[in-house]
Amino acid sequence: MRRRSFLLSAGAGAAALAGCLGDDGGETTETTDGDGAGGANATDGPTTGEGTTSGTTTGTAASVSGTLVVATYPTWVEGDSPAGTWVKEAFESEYDATVEYTTPDSRFSYFIRRAAQGAPIDADVYLGLNVDELIDLDEKAGGDVLSPLSVDAPVKEGLQFDPQGRAVPYDTGYISLVYDETTVEAPATFDDLLTEEYRGDLLAQNAQSSATGRAFMLHTVKAKGEDGYLDYWQQLQDNDVRILGNWSDSYTAYENGEAPMVVSYSTDQVYAHQAGADLSRHQVGFLNDQAYAQPEGVARFADSEQQELAQAFVEFLLTPEAQGEIAQRNVQYPATTNAELPEEFSKYTFEPEEPVTFTYEELKGNVDEWVDQWARQIAQG
Amino acid sequence: MSRASGAFERVGLTRERRVRLLATLAVGAFLTAMLYYPVASVLVEAVTVEGAPSLDPLVTVLTDPFYTGAFGSALADPSAIPAGLAAWAANGFSWPGFGLVGFTAWQALLSTVASVALGLPGAYVLARFEFRGRETVRSLTAVPFVLPSIMVAVGFVATFGIDGTLSDAFAAIGLPRFSLLFTLELVVLAHAFYNAPLVVRIVSAAAERLDTRTLEVARASGAPRWRAAWDVLVPQLLPALGTAALLTFVFTFQSFAIVLALGGLQLATVEVWVFDLVQSFDLQEAAALATVEAVVSLSLTYAYLRYEARQARGGSGRTLDRLRFGAASARTRLAVGAYGVVTLVVFALPLVSMVAESVVGPNGFTLRYYEFLVARQTTAASFQTQPLTAVRNSLLFGFGTLALAVPLGVTVSLLTARGGRLVQVGGTLAFVPFAVSGVVLGLGLLQSFVFGTVLFGHRIVLTGAFAIVAAHAVGAYPFVTRSVSPLLARLDPALPEVARAAGASRLRALWDVELPLVMGGVLAGAAFAFAISIGEFDATVILAEGSESYTMPVAVERYLTERSLGPPSAMGTVLLVVTAASFVVIDRLGGAFDG
Repeated sequence: MRRRSFLLSAGAGAAALAGCLGDDGGETTETTDGDGAGGANATDGPTTGEGTTSGTTTGTAASVSGTLVVATYPTWVEGDSPAGTWVKEAFESEYDATVEYTTPDSRFSYFIRRAAQGAPIDADVYLGLNVDELIDLDEKAGGDVLSPLSVDAPVKEGLQFDPQGRAVPYDTGYISLVYDETTVEAPATFDDLLTEEYRGDLLAQNAQSSATGRAFMLHTVKAKGEDGYLDYWQQLQDNDVRILGNWSDSYTAYENGEAPMVVSYSTDQVYAHQAGADLSRHQVGFLNDQAYAQPEGVARFADSEQQELAQAFVEFLLTPEAQGEIAQRNVQYPATTNAELPEEFSKYTFEPEEPVTFTYEELKGNVDEWVDQWARQIAQG
Repeated sequence: MSRASGAFERVGLTRERRVRLLATLAVGAFLTAMLYYPVASVLVEAVTVEGAPSLDPLVTVLTDPFYTGAFGSALADPSAIPAGLAAWAANGFSWPGFGLVGFTAWQALLSTVASVALGLPGAYVLARFEFRGRETVRSLTAVPFVLPSIMVAVGFVATFGIDGTLSDAFAAIGLPRFSLLFTLELVVLAHAFYNAPLVVRIVSAAAERLDTRTLEVARASGAPRWRAAWDVLVPQLLPALGTAALLTFVFTFQSFAIVLALGGLQLATVEVWVFDLVQSFDLQEAAALATVEAVVSLSLTYAYLRYEARQARGGSGRTLDRLRFGAASARTRLAVGAYGVVTLVVFALPLVSMVAESVVGPNGFTLRYYEFLVARQTTAASFQTQPLTAVRNSLLFGFGTLALAVPLGVTVSLLTARGGRLVQVGGTLAFVPFAVSGVVLGLGLLQSFVFGTVLFGHRIVLTGAFAIVAAHAVGAYPFVTRSVSPLLARLDPALPEVARAAGASRLRALWDVELPLVMGGVLAGAAFAFAISIGEFDATVILAEGSESYTMPVAVERYLTERSLGPPSAMGTVLLVVTAASFVVIDRLGGAFDG
């Protein structure tokens, strides 16, 4: 039922859009015959006579066609077997459409700044959005930069991080400890990290600029409370924790034996296994049996002239097949419960008993302050 | 044009002054468009609150003890100064701490001292001795300067870490293992790795032009060797040394990625905070902090230019002959050998470790990271980064930058060579590209060029190759200026006059007489202009947005997925090799002009 209602609204969108294009002199090449007719009857929606072909078959190639500009982060398209390449090919074979990727260096901030400055948005979809960026967007550029999406897919509980339904999660990672079992035993709790046994053993990252660093710091806020996490970090500092700039800084140090534990992803063994490395140096440990979940979302720009194509793209990302491919290639967990995954996937990836995360509402108005207080304390220590 | 010159005639400007004025206007217009405007569009936030002029943002930063330590506390509450001083005395006058800015300046000072200490003997060896491969060694000195911080971090951890080469060597002879990681010492050493080459290039360029006549006079009148050298040679070298030290200080004052990679957030610098504030959209505080940062660098530059202007001018007589290294005394050879060992440890080992990282997997030797590069080259989709495109772009932009930055830099040198305070202020302003936070410049370029500036109802967007070359030239010309100016300052002012008295025009005299004498500086500057272009990341990645204009450092960064260091190391090695080869070629070509 929900799917059908979506089809109807998307069809209406197509008609309205075609109307807009008509007013503009039809400079875009994506308009089809059906759209032209729809333009003449914009308010009637897709059920009118001439519009029939495009309206009723929405969701397939007839009306959703053209070029979709997808802005994303480099990992999506670079790397050995990137998810981006598969998604592009698979989507293009199903739809009469072309996916074009663009990877702005400052990621989603690029679009927040564009919106805040009133510069035109030059993409249709952003893929790789997280809750922090969404909060920044709403605080700095207002709430109408993205248009809400509704997708009928069994998304796992707790991953839906946008209360307004603009960002749709397509995968998630868990931030955990990776440790060398030949040197240390896994600490079970946050308090264990404060003991003499783990002095100088932990490498973490700067929560100001690193995704893993921020997730780990937020996890300590979750575990120790807003009033207690700074004290906890003071004790961690006293126990010689090291906070480096980003994931690669700390992982370089970890691989070179500077410390036996590093804050990283719970899928660490997938890479170690691919590289043929000794897995005893790539053990995954969960503190308090928890890990901080970091869902990644995809969202559609409100100014995009490809509203339906974008919707179709997002729906495609959440199909069981795409979810399985994305999870394996991006080395993350699927966002849905029905992803098609090989047995082997669970062999080298670990999920915590209890995923934890802060909601949009909990973070908004707080996260900047938490990070700033934390960073000032570390830098002065 | 003719109307303009007619106007000049009417106000009685000489031809020389006309040329000067036009050159000043052209340079000024270019820098305004490419530098001052984008930077000002960001820094204006530091002196306005909701559109109205205000010093509040600056005051907020200056009085925040986190940023300025004791200085901030004193500013925030002057009435508490006596009590504060008493407490300080009671504490036995302990180091008061000057906050983030104070610490940043302190590590920059240490880094400058280390860079000079490491670079000066190198400059001496290159200037004093003739040996096989001297030219090549000199060319390769610029290589460290272009390396992405990710690579340097990898090389340093593998050299100075607990399982590093040095620690291995200690363990092999029965000494305890050690790690320099996470120490200020290692950060300072990494800064010296980047900047000692600067000292070598700039000082050796000056040393090759030393005037030795007075040295002979001093020796003949019975002064001991060291005394004669101290009195005669050191004053001639000080401007170049001062320049190199100033550049090192300014660069390391803004250091950021390498500090976080080797030292950690515990050793954070001002630039770390500027970056974070920009990222979290706190533009007001970011602009204010970046302004404080730039003011520190520019004040130092101005003070230095005042000092340089007061230095005595030498003549240009016979230059020091280079000794064949084999002919040097045993003690000298021993000292040079010891220095060689130090450079091996500080420069060669990390470089070798970087290359090693690209051919070593968890199970030993592997070529899979290079196979990745080859595969990417042959099968990449249009949206993926191809290694050869990056190489080609880097070289194109590098030479484009040379072509633009060298004339620009020499022109600025000539315009600011002689004159009073006004000229020194001009010289200081010419230094802005180095003094302003790279993060702020990047944001300025993003907002005004990539997003576009609306002029007469049209949004003017400037990205791609030309914008990148222009941005690189702006970032590189101060090098040319700074390499040439000390040499120009030492020229006898009578020289061009003599040429002109002999009937040469001013420009002719410049071309025939002055330029050849400062060619060493031009070359040193050119090599570093090229290096700046090759190594530049902030502006490139922003202006290459959505185009095929990515360069080698950008490719390194894009291959760095958050999981594997192999592909970026392989790309980094390509960068290393291509750059090293380019430097040798540039110096060979340049040498042809240098006589």
